[in-house]
Amino acid sequence: MASFAVYFVLNTVFVLAVSPLFMGLIKIVKAQMQGRRGPPLLQIYFNLLKLFKKERVVSLNSSFITLISPYINIIFILAASLCVPLVFIPAANYGFGNVILFLYLMVMAKFFMALGGLDAGSSFGGMGSSREMTISAIFEPVVIIVVSALVFVLNTFNIHQMFATTLGSSVLTNATLFLTAAALFIILITETSRVPVDNPETHLELTMVHEAMILESSGPNLALMELSHAIKSTLLMALLINILVPWGLAASVTPLNLLIGMLTFLLKGSILAIFMAVFESVMAKSRLFGLRTFFILAFALAFVTIVFELLV
Amino acid sequence: MFLFAIGVGLCLLSALICVVNTRRDNSITRKAALWLTIAACLIFVSEGARTALNNQPLQYSFSQIAPQLQFSFSIDRLAAFFILVISIVALSVAIYSLRYIEASTSGIRRNLFVPLMNVFILSMLCFVASANSFAQLLFWELISLSSFILVMYHYEKEETRKAGIFYFIMTQMSTIFLMLGFILLYNATGSFTIASSPVLTAGTNTLVFIFLFCGFGIKAGIIPFHKWLPYAHSSSPSNISALMSGVMIKVAIYGLVRYVLFVLDPQLWWGILILIAGTISALLGVIYALKEHDIKRLLAYHSIENIGIILIGLGLYIIFDSYGLSDLAFLSLAASLFHTLNHAIFKSLLFLTAGSVVEETGTRDIEKMGGLVKTMPITASLFLIGALSISALPPFNGFVSELMIFQAFFQAFAIPSHYVIVLLVVCLSLFALTSALAAACFVKAFGVIFLAMPRSDTVQQAHEVPKSMLIGPALLAFLCVGLGIFSFQIFSWLGYQPPMPNLLWVSLSLFIFLGLTVILVRAASGHVTRRAETWACGMPTPDSHSEYTAAGFSEPILTFFKPIYKTDKVIERNFWDKYGAVFKSGRADIHVMKIFEEKLYIPVANAIRSISRKVSAAQNVDLDTFILYSFITVIILIIVAGWVL
Repeated sequence: MASFAVYFVLNTVFVLAVSPLFMGLIKIVKAQMQGRRGPPLLQIYFNLLKLFKKERVVSLNSSFITLISPYINIIFILAASLCVPLVFIPAANYGFGNVILFLYLMVMAKFFMALGGLDAGSSFGGMGSSREMTISAIFEPVVIIVVSALVFVLNTFNIHQMFATTLGSSVLTNATLFLTAAALFIILITETSRVPVDNPETHLELTMVHEAMILESSGPNLALMELSHAIKSTLLMALLINILVPWGLAASVTPLNLLIGMLTFLLKGSILAIFMAVFESVMAKSRLFGLRTFFILAFALAFVTIVFELLV
Repeated sequence: MFLFAIGVGLCLLSALICVVNTRRDNSITRKAALWLTIAACLIFVSEGARTALNNQPLQYSFSQIAPQLQFSFSIDRLAAFFILVISIVALSVAIYSLRYIEASTSGIRRNLFVPLMNVFILSMLCFVASANSFAQLLFWELISLSSFILVMYHYEKEETRKAGIFYFIMTQMSTIFLMLGFILLYNATGSFTIASSPVLTAGTNTLVFIFLFCGFGIKAGIIPFHKWLPYAHSSSPSNISALMSGVMIKVAIYGLVRYVLFVLDPQLWWGILILIAGTISALLGVIYALKEHDIKRLLAYHSIENIGIILIGLGLYIIFDSYGLSDLAFLSLAASLFHTLNHAIFKSLLFLTAGSVVEETGTRDIEKMGGLVKTMPITASLFLIGALSISALPPFNGFVSELMIFQAFFQAFAIPSHYVIVLLVVCLSLFALTSALAAACFVKAFGVIFLAMPRSDTVQQAHEVPKSMLIGPALLAFLCVGLGIFSFQIFSWLGYQPPMPNLLWVSLSLFIFLGLTVILVRAASGHVTRRAETWACGMPTPDSHSEYTAAGFSEPILTFFKPIYKTDKVIERNFWDKYGAVFKSGRADIHVMKIFEEKLYIPVANAIRSISRKVSAAQNVDLDTFILYSFITVIILIIVAGWVL
């Protein structure tokens, strides 16, 4: 119980603290790739603080959905964050870490974000919601197959235990994990609304999906939405990192271990963030109906993993 | 058993009160009758729950009609569970009906409603409780008949008459299949009693399964037998839709579970068949639901989807069981039964709240609704809870049963056969697709019905419905939340420790996060909220025409699944000669094909019609020919009798 209480506080505070950092890093690297200087690393923190202080402007058409949806988003994403240990793995997990629970907590957040998009009655919001739900529906089989490949390879459906397993054994003994990791990377790109699925930079109705849904949010509401998006991104990054390169993740709670855990996660997360930024810079936004190919690739990777494991 | 008898008595008394007073249009007698029904339902709920918990079967025999024919009842845990499911839904429907039935125009019809509903509920309860197949068949017919009359409630509408007849024919087909199955069983065992695992030859075993699967499948709405569901559900009164969709199709599931698990000897391929049928029903059900803009039809298609999910659980049970993986088999069965309960609850909740919306707006077309969250806030919140449950979102009850099915799927790798594993992985991905599409569909449904601006004038005049029409659904909404959060505790209480997360902890953590977020945001923010018009790129004030429509919302998904919908294109052209006279013309038509109706139902119906036409040609002749027929028949009989005896 004590271990879990420490985990509860530490994991939540850590994920809240580092999530905007990775977002900032991605922005800088992308700017550099485009020949710009980009915003300072900590700019996102100041933006969030500024948004919290500003007034809320809500549409005349909107209802209580607009008011509750940012809160629902952040609390469900934070609950999902308990499923993914960033720094250390607690001794007991009280059911957190179930991989289906993790996915569906995030779907709950998405559901309310989509409702929020429809609430103001603007055609942008509706378009964003429609596209987001479409992408998430088409993508769901891929996510489940990737997850079931993970479950099959690591022989548990608890993310905490998955990390414990990968921490205990060398990745080289589980070569199929590389295939799954590639598929996980596609999940990361898709679920965090990045190129080629979505373009986080744009406010052009042809291309935007996630941005369109939160177009009507403002002030603290927007800050909560942005923050939950950043956390979601960090969680999926952590899933990929701790499955592929879990080294540094603390198995027991000592101050030194925790410090090492935090520093190594920061390091690994930054490398992944830079990779994501480069990946995004060299890719072009795909047509919505062209995404099929991208998704089928992930599906195939995970399916091949399963077949390999079956044959071994 | 005594209390059950009292409950039945109360139901019959309530029916009697209304039947006696048919001619007098008095709302007080109707109310009194419904209160009796409510009391009876309360008794059924408590007795059902008690029997299910105690796990002590109740038995009761009743009037020997003929040597082999008697009404005997036996309520074991499975039957008690289904009695619980039926009576919970019936209870809230009865509460809802207190005001809902008063909306109908004719006094006599209002009076007849209560007895018909009572007969409908009672016949379902008796079907579940029956201990012999003969009585079951009788109650099955009673279910069909009473529900048929209730579907025809608004018989003055052409649409309703068509739906009613369609439903009646389908339900009679289901009875024929059941009758064949029961007769085969009777031939093999020599008794109508539902005995546990009698000795059957492999052929009988298989044949009985096929007949019963078809018979129960038609009533449950498994694709391709599903076509009656959207018709019947959309044209019947909403409280009846809630009963039919929430409970009646579950009675068919009860029949399937009872016979497949307790009487017959399940084979691996049955499991595979049920799994595939379930997956197809689930997927096509939700895909058809996405293109539907009639709220009640949309919900009806979701019933097909959820029946599919229940069947997936049942199929997994048989597959795991035949490989001797009893833990996994039990998990799948528990998931399947729990989803039965959950679907009964959230689907009736959705139908009842949709009924309130339809009553207030006077239309079932969601494209004409919008903005109702402001005029009907409580109904909207209740519908939202139902929508969250059906979309399998935590911590609601729909999530728990789907989580259990996911976990059963994930452990498919324990099966020795690689072919079966690959099949299960494919079904798993389709199941995931189903569940995500359901979420998309309910974002559409809730968003278009309740959010943004009203799309027509009548919708603007909608009001919140009276209290009883809120209390009925509220009861179900409460169960949706309770059965979700306390699912782990409920299973432990029943003596089963499912391998799933304790949602109480999840809810607790959500609560903590909510408290912290609210405090922090209040501390940090400026507390100023300003209301302004939605930004429309500098255009004048946006009106409802600029909103996203339901058709627009589902368009991308429909484009992805275009091959499944099969749009039918017909092109029309006119050719004129030099005098301007048309000498050839044709028509152009683009419409979404009703594949099952056009490719399966109508060809079958046409084949039957052409056969019967030939038969009737032989009938339509003079007396001499008929005498000849009788003469030939007698001779054949003599020959056959002499040959056989």
